[in-house]
Amino acid sequence: MKKPDVKIVLLGDMNVGKTSLLHRYMERRFQDTVSTVGGAFYLKQWRSYNISIWDTAGREQFHGLGSMYCRGAAAIILTYDVNHLQSLLELEDRFLGLTDTASTDCLFAIVGNKVDLSEDQEKDEVSSEQASSSCVSTKVPKQVKLEDAVALYKKILKYKMLDEKDVPAAEKMCFETSAKTGYNVDHLFETLFDMVVPVILRQRAEGPPQTVDISDYKQPKQAKSGCCA
Amino acid sequence: MDAGGDTVAPAPGDVEDLEATRFSREDAGDGGGVPKGPPDLRDGGLQETASQGKEQSPGVLPSLPQAEAPSGTCELWSPTAPASGTAGQAGDPSDEDWRSQRKHVFVLSEAGKPIYSRYGSVEALSATMGVMTALVSFVHSAGDAIRAIYAEDHKLVFLQQGPLLLVAVSRTPQSAAQLRGELLAVHAQIVSTLTRASVARIFAHKQNYDLRRLLAGSERTLDRLLDSVERDPGVLLLGAVRCVPLARPLREALGALLRRCTAPGLALSVLAVGGRLITAAQERTVLTECRLDPADLQLLLDWVGAPAFAAGEAWAPVCLPRFNPDGFFYAYVARLDAMPVCLLLLGTDREAFHAMAACRRMVENGMRTLGATHDLAAIAGLSNAPSASAPAYSVRAVGAPGLRHFLYKPLDIPDHHRQLPQFTSPELEAPYSREEEQYRLSDLYHCLHARLHSTSRPLRLIYHVAEKETLLAWVTSKFELYTCLSPLVTKAGAILVVTKLLRWVKKEEDRLFIRCPPKYSTPPAASVDQAPHNGVFTGL
Repeated sequence: MKKPDVKIVLLGDMNVGKTSLLHRYMERRFQDTVSTVGGAFYLKQWRSYNISIWDTAGREQFHGLGSMYCRGAAAIILTYDVNHLQSLLELEDRFLGLTDTASTDCLFAIVGNKVDLSEDQEKDEVSSEQASSSCVSTKVPKQVKLEDAVALYKKILKYKMLDEKDVPAAEKMCFETSAKTGYNVDHLFETLFDMVVPVILRQRAEGPPQTVDISDYKQPKQAKSGCCA
Repeated sequence: MDAGGDTVAPAPGDVEDLEATRFSREDAGDGGGVPKGPPDLRDGGLQETASQGKEQSPGVLPSLPQAEAPSGTCELWSPTAPASGTAGQAGDPSDEDWRSQRKHVFVLSEAGKPIYSRYGSVEALSATMGVMTALVSFVHSAGDAIRAIYAEDHKLVFLQQGPLLLVAVSRTPQSAAQLRGELLAVHAQIVSTLTRASVARIFAHKQNYDLRRLLAGSERTLDRLLDSVERDPGVLLLGAVRCVPLARPLREALGALLRRCTAPGLALSVLAVGGRLITAAQERTVLTECRLDPADLQLLLDWVGAPAFAAGEAWAPVCLPRFNPDGFFYAYVARLDAMPVCLLLLGTDREAFHAMAACRRMVENGMRTLGATHDLAAIAGLSNAPSASAPAYSVRAVGAPGLRHFLYKPLDIPDHHRQLPQFTSPELEAPYSREEEQYRLSDLYHCLHARLHSTSRPLRLIYHVAEKETLLAWVTSKFELYTCLSPLVTKAGAILVVTKLLRWVKKEEDRLFIRCPPKYSTPPAASVDQAPHNGVFTGL
């Protein structure tokens, strides 16, 4: 079994499509998922690196596990549903606090999923018109605009006391995706993977990763035993 | 509170009438809509309730249930009322589909807030649930507890568990005790995701809390649990788990392997396929202090069979209600080598994911060395239906013509292995491939079980000729057996078939059952004080 080099965590309220996003990226298809229980761990080979991805349960019931998933994470994908403003607000209220245990140079991406359900996605304009003429359109105007996500991103930087100059620009880190159509999904994950590669290299150069300071000292030992087994 | 009194006041008499209205609509001659007298007139009425409660002034009621929209109740339940214009909406009590369901199960909070309903949407049912709360509170105010109502062909069973109220409304022939067992299983399922302590804490803190927020996503699990009772009754009826038939040496080798692969804090390891047990190993400290309850094990088996665990390596808190209803274990669940074989590792350490993952790799490697992978894949692939990849055998394997199906639970397990009650039964085949037929068979088994275990007059042997099959149920000190035979069998023929079956089970018992459940020879590094109490999940 390969040793993960870096950790990425998907966070967000329930029903925003975290599992579907990951599933779309890993399996290249969209399928109805069931509510995630606890968290699920995946390993993705990216170039010569092993990237571990934690797909977490958005249900409040599993909230207590969140900080464990985030411990030492190099990147956190905060996911919301563009059709539910509440899901964006929850990110700030409920999930931002969980990221305290992440690595200090942790990257944040804010992802608005389910754009296929709203009608002002430019490239779908024609088809949605057709849909509305043929039957009652189920599509609704998007509730959350990209600017709202950008504003949240800046708020996070403030919360983390980071300087905007030191981190990727907000425009680069806010995505709108559709796990159903696959729109922007690869772009999201691959942008993020490319960004965490330098983190891996830095961690390797620095020897034992900084995350050890935060987590207990047993962790590297456990990882090693896993690799020998 | 006078206004409230007015709206709810008719409850003592009228709720009963509505009850009757609702249940006897088809039997028009029954005087369905006509208000009846006291509730305990003909249908058995309230069982163990204080009927003198009726004499109490209705004024006590308003303070009891915070029934949502109590005034709407009567309209909704009256067959003539136009039920708020949206008649036929799923879950609306006036909806014919909804009313015709065989068995409803509801969970609500003490304050009358709906938490779960098997059919329909809980939102549409808040008035109905308000009535249930009223019934419970009314009897409670007389210093008694409502247990069941028998109305025509329906049974209503009530179960209060802490701040939760569970209600079953059934027209299956199940006995009230069996329904109560089902409600207990539903409650255990809820506790397993939240723990009893946190449920109590939540409601102590905020009485009108909407528990659905925390249970979101668990409804499907409850649905699956209730469906399984009706179609495959063995598990709950016999209080036992079903094992995958497996050659004894292989099973023992796998047991030894699980015993070898330990991790700090590991309490229990389980190998399962499609909700059936291959083998399990329990850490000694857990074992000596408390035997793992089969209900807990079954809960875990159902749980890991959930589609949520189909991919990746999962890590989640889970509570074993019988073992300790107030604390969490942390469970590692993964499919082995992309097979449907599932490994569950239960530990007390919240951070032990990577240790458990390492332990899984040890198990995988060990299985490859054993060469067990191939055998297990064969078992798992035996039935090709991907939905229920349940490894099983056909009743034809017994070689007793006329035998259609059976449930067999051995009772002669040596005492120190009693912690793992098991049963075996073949796949349901034609003529029991359709849902209705499965329901019928399940109902018959429930009837026989209720009569064998009747508290007033328990029986040892029942020969029952039903319309489409003949059944024979038999309980001795060595086994409990339910058989379903062809309808044309004679009594002598039935005895012959059963004798043949018993001989077959005896011959195959090493394969059908885990005769010696493995244990850890040495407790792993985790000490006793790292008991599951430490794992109490405080994230709520």
